[in-house]
Amino acid sequence: MDLFLERLISGLTNGSIYALLALALVVVFRGTGTLNFAQGELALFTTFVAWWLTTQSLPIWFAIAAALGVGFIMGALIERLLIRPVAKRNDMAVLIVALGLFTGLNSLAGLLWGSETKIMPSPFPNGESDFISIGGARLYGDALGVWGALIGLMGLMTLLFRFTKVGLHMRAVADNATSATLAGVRTSRILAIGWGLSGAIGALAGVLVTPLAPQQLSLTTMFSIFIAASAAALFGGLDSLVGAVVGGLVIGVLEAMLTGYVSVIGGSLQQTSALLIIVVILFAKPTGLFGTTKLVRV
Amino acid sequence: MLGANGAGKTTTMQAIAGLMSWRGSIELDGRPLPRRPEQVVRSGVSLVPQGRGTLGALTVLENLRVGAAVRTDAAGVSADIDRWCEVFPVLGRRSRQTAGTLSGGEQQMLAVARALMSRPRLLLCDEPSLGLAPIVVQELFATLARINETDGTAMLIVEQNAELAMDLASTVYLLDVGTIAASGTPADFRADDAVRTAYLGY
Amino acid sequence: MGVQDPTVVDDTPRVTAPGGMPSGPVPAPVSPGGGGLTGRGPLTIIEGSRRHWALRALGVVAVVAVLLLASQAQAFRVGQFTNVFIIAIAIVGLNLVTGHTGLLSIGHSAFFGLGAYTTGVLVARYDAAPMTTIPVAVVLSFVLGLLVGLPSLRIKGLYLALVTLTVGVSFPEIIRRAEELTGGAAGLVVRSASLAPPAWTGLGRAQRGIWMFWVSAAVLLLVMWLSRNLVRSRFGLGMRSTRDHEIAAAASGVRVARTKILAFGVSGAITGLAGSLFTMYIGALSPDGSFTLLKSIELVTGLVLGGIATQLGPVVGAVAVVFLPQLTGAFSTGPLSGVVFGVVLIAIVFVMPEGIVGRIGLWVRRRVAVVPADRPGLAADTTAAPPPAPPPHSNTHNRWEDQ
Repeated sequence: MDLFLERLISGLTNGSIYALLALALVVVFRGTGTLNFAQGELALFTTFVAWWLTTQSLPIWFAIAAALGVGFIMGALIERLLIRPVAKRNDMAVLIVALGLFTGLNSLAGLLWGSETKIMPSPFPNGESDFISIGGARLYGDALGVWGALIGLMGLMTLLFRFTKVGLHMRAVADNATSATLAGVRTSRILAIGWGLSGAIGALAGVLVTPLAPQQLSLTTMFSIFIAASAAALFGGLDSLVGAVVGGLVIGVLEAMLTGYVSVIGGSLQQTSALLIIVVILFAKPTGLFGTTKLVRV
Repeated sequence: MLGANGAGKTTTMQAIAGLMSWRGSIELDGRPLPRRPEQVVRSGVSLVPQGRGTLGALTVLENLRVGAAVRTDAAGVSADIDRWCEVFPVLGRRSRQTAGTLSGGEQQMLAVARALMSRPRLLLCDEPSLGLAPIVVQELFATLARINETDGTAMLIVEQNAELAMDLASTVYLLDVGTIAASGTPADFRADDAVRTAYLGY
Repeated sequence: MGVQDPTVVDDTPRVTAPGGMPSGPVPAPVSPGGGGLTGRGPLTIIEGSRRHWALRALGVVAVVAVLLLASQAQAFRVGQFTNVFIIAIAIVGLNLVTGHTGLLSIGHSAFFGLGAYTTGVLVARYDAAPMTTIPVAVVLSFVLGLLVGLPSLRIKGLYLALVTLTVGVSFPEIIRRAEELTGGAAGLVVRSASLAPPAWTGLGRAQRGIWMFWVSAAVLLLVMWLSRNLVRSRFGLGMRSTRDHEIAAAASGVRVARTKILAFGVSGAITGLAGSLFTMYIGALSPDGSFTLLKSIELVTGLVLGGIATQLGPVVGAVAVVFLPQLTGAFSTGPLSGVVFGVVLIAIVFVMPEGIVGRIGLWVRRRVAVVPADRPGLAADTTAAPPPAPPPHSNTHNRWEDQ
C-alpha cells in the first residue's frame, strides 16, 4: 500500500513537471499553431542560466526569477526574429527552424557551461528528513513544492486568461487571429508575449525538475521531459490547458506505475512508453482527448 | 456600396481595414489611414467582416471586451457594453454564452456591436445581410440607421440587396470591376433607368 | 523567382520544332528561334539529341573521373568520402518522404540504426556474410517505415513529425535494452575479419576501406537512379501532389494515406540500406554514437542545405554535414557542431530555402532548357514532363541529371 502511494506521489510529481512544460507547449500552439520542438531545450538553457547564477553565490530564488525572465525574453525574441518571418511560408519551415533551435540551444548550453553534470540546488526543503508521512509513504518537501508550483501556475494562468486584457487578447488571437486584429488587438505583440510566457513557464519547469531528476542538470535532462510533455499536450489536443495538465499527471502516474509494476519496462524504456502513449492517443482521437476539432475550408 | 460579384467590394473594405497591401492613398477626414489593421481601428475605422468573424470560443461579453482593445477607459467600456446589450437585447440575454452557440443573426448583431465597441467614426459592414432571414435583416438595418442618427457614426455598407441598401443609404456607390461606375443619392439611382437596368436589374 | 521558367521551357519547342522532330539524331539542335532573337533566352537542348547525349556522357565521365581521383586519396580521406556516400544514401531516403512527400521526419536515425544493427547483429552473432545482410536490413527498415507511416492514416503534419521524433528517440533506448542481441549500451563490435571484402574481389582484409568506397559509391548511384525514377513515376506524382495539396490530391483520386505509408516504407528502406553499409564501413556500433536524434538532425540539415526535393541535394548536403564540423575544428559529436548545425539550419530557411542545389538549379534552368524532342508524341519513358503545378524547386530534378 505504502509502496503504491509512494509511486503515486512520484508519478504525480513527475507528472506535474510534464504538465508545466506541456502548458508551455499549449500556449505556443494556441498562438502560432506549431509545436515548439525547441521548448525543452529552451527550458534547459534557462535552467543552466539559473544554475550559473547560483554558482555566483546568488540566492536560488533570485536565480529562478532571473531564469524566468531570461526564458520570457528568449521566447519572445525567438518568435519575433525567427518564427514570425517564416510562419507564413509553410509548416515545414517553422519546424525546421524549431529543429535548428533545438540542436543549437542544447549545444550552446554545452559550449558555454560544459557537458558534465551539474548539481542544481532545490528551492524547497529536500533533506532526508523533510517529509511528511501519509499512509506510510513519504511525501518530501520538494515534491510538495512542485505540486504547489503547478497549482499556483494554473491559478495564475486562470487569472491571466479570465481577468486580464492581455489574457483576453491571447485567447482572441488563438481563436481567430484575423478577427482579433480587426478588433484592434495587437496580434504581433500578443504572439510574442505568448512565446515569452511559454519560455518562462518552461524555465520554471526546468529549475523545478533538475533537483529531482536522476541525471540532475545535464544536456539530456530536458529531452525525456519534453517527450513526455509533448505526449501530455497531445493528450489534451495541443490546445487545451486543462487537457495538458490532466495529460501530464496521467502520463506521470502511468509511467510510475508501469515502471514500478511491469518489469519489462523497468525504468529504461520510459521514452518508448511515452511514444506508445502518443501513438495510441493519436489513433484513438487525432485531435486529442480535450482538443477541439477545427473545420478547415479549402 | 453596390456591385456585382467580383466588382471589388470586399477588396475595397479589406484594403481600408488594412488586411491587404495597397498602393495609392486612403484618407479619412483628409488624413491618410495607416496600413496595419490594429492602427486602422485606432484611427477610428472598424470593419465588420463578411462572415462575421466572431470569436466562437469566447463569450458574448468577452467578444465585446476584445472589441474595446484599443480603448483604455475602463468605465466607458463597461458603459458601452451595457448600452449595446440594450440596443441588441439578445446579446444581453446571452452575454455569458460562447459566441459559437449563437444563431447567424445573433452573431451578426454581436459582430456589429463588437465593431462599435471601439467607438469608430466610420463603421464598415461587409454584406451584413448575408445568410440572414429577411426579418432579421430589417431589424439589423433599422438598428444601424438609429445608431447612425444618434451617434453620428458614418457607415459604409456593402450590400447585394440593392433595394434594402438604398432605403438606408444617403449616398450610393456602384462599383464595377474595381472602379466607381456611378454614384449619387438613392433617388438619383432610382430615377436613372440606364443605371437601374444595367446594374440593379429591375 | 523561377516561376516563369516552366513556361519558357514549354513554349520554346513550339517555336523551334513546329513539325515535331523525329526522336533520332538531330543535327545541331541548339537554340534557334527565340534564343537568337532575344539574345539572352535559355540555351535549348532537345532531349535525345546528340548534344543531349554528349552532355550525359560528359556527366558520366565526370562522375567516374571524380570517383577514380577520390579513390586515390589517403586512406582516411577515402574513409571520409565513404562516409559522405553513406550519409548521402540516407539523405536520399529522407528526401523521398520529407522532400517529395512533404512529411518532415525527425526519426530517420532509427532507420539508419535499424539497418546498421541488422547487419551488425547478423554478422557478429550469426556469422552472415556482410553483403547477404543487406536485403534483410532493407526489408526490416521497409517494414519499420510502413509502421511509422501508419499513423498518417489518421494524423497529419505536425503530429506525424512528433511520431517520427519519438521513434528516433526510442530507438537507442530499445537497443540499450535488447542487450543479449545488440550488446546494449556497451556497443557491438564486428570483427574486421568478418567484414573483409568477398573473396571474388581479390581484395585483402586491409583493403576494406577501398572496397567499401566503391560499394557505397555504386549503391549511392543506384539509389539516386531509383529515387529519380520513383519520383517521376505515377506513384511519385502521387507523392508530390500529396505534398503540394493533400485535399486536391485526394479529390483527384490519389490514395493519400497509402502514398504516405509507402513513401515512408521506401524512404526507411533506403536509409536502412545506408545504415547497413555504415556497419560494414565502421565495424563498431553503439546506441549513443550514430543513432541518436543528432543523426536525424544531421540528415535533415544535409537535406535542407543541399536542397529539398532535388536529385543532387542529398550528395551536396552529405558533403556539407560531413565536412562542415571539421571546418569548424570540432569533432562531429562535440557541442560546437550542434551549434553549427542549428545555425546553418535556421540560416538556410532564411536565406536560401531552396538549398544549394535548388539555387544552382534555378540559375541553370534560366540558361539551359532541356526539352523533349517531340512534344505531341511524348513517349512512355519521357512522361517525366513537369507535373501540373509543382513549386519551382520540385521541377529541378527533372532537368538536373545533365549538370
